[in-house]
Amino acid sequence: MTAAAPPPLIRRLRVSGLLVALGLAVEAVTLLWSHPTAFLVFLGLGGLLVGAGVLVYLFAIATYTSPPSRPG
Amino acid sequence: MPLPTAGFVALVLVTIALIGLLVLRPSLVAARGGRILAFLSLFLLPLVVTGLGTSAQVEHSKSTTFCLSCHVMEPYGRSLLVDDPAYVPARHYQNNRVPRDSACFTCHTNYTLFGDYKAKLRGLRHVYVNYIGTIPKDIKLYDPYNNRECLHCHGGARSFEANEVHQPIRAELAKNATSCLECHDKVHDVHGLAGVKMWKEKMP
Repeated sequence: MTAAAPPPLIRRLRVSGLLVALGLAVEAVTLLWSHPTAFLVFLGLGGLLVGAGVLVYLFAIATYTSPPSRPG
Repeated sequence: MPLPTAGFVALVLVTIALIGLLVLRPSLVAARGGRILAFLSLFLLPLVVTGLGTSAQVEHSKSTTFCLSCHVMEPYGRSLLVDDPAYVPARHYQNNRVPRDSACFTCHTNYTLFGDYKAKLRGLRHVYVNYIGTIPKDIKLYDPYNNRECLHCHGGARSFEANEVHQPIRAELAKNATSCLECHDKVHDVHGLAGVKMWKEKMP
């Protein structure tokens, strides 16, 4: 028996979480280094990952359709 | 680790922990509380943290260490350590007339990240040139040095205002019509540093 695939909302939230967590980790690491490159990595990589994660989250909730309620 | 950085890292860890909770227990979003948690950890907190981080990065870039971290700026850092009071930046740096940890920014307030959008774009170009482009042999300011940077501290100071040389040209100095550097012309002079006696070999 195989496990059922998670619904799209859950899958997208996981992807969003992964992107945001990775982006925040990058941002935190760059803040420990006082160098122009750190600034670029902060915005170019950290900011990009966080931005992508937030967009995936917004997409997930914007495209979510609640399951039809059972006739009763 | 300075306190703002420590606070930032703590906020990042809290956000990541909340995201971890959401990723490991996605069924939480079925309830109202879980949806609020998702909104906080995947939208609000990341944006707040990125905003705070950007502000902290801009603060970092005011530091002398930040400016001198590019190889091409090293001679300018050395010029602050010259044992000769004729060197204007050295005299200011060594006598704490500018804060040592933000010495460059104190006298170059319109440089790179702190100026208008043009200055910010130039700052990004500097990083590009530093790694990929061709670094010019002579580094020059984009605009003539503005007296505003000097008068910010010296303007109104008794020693400056009472000076017999300054008095007749005070209005011209204020209007930037006569540059302070016309008389105080020994500035960084990075090409003449070889063999010059140093106050210290490294930054204190």
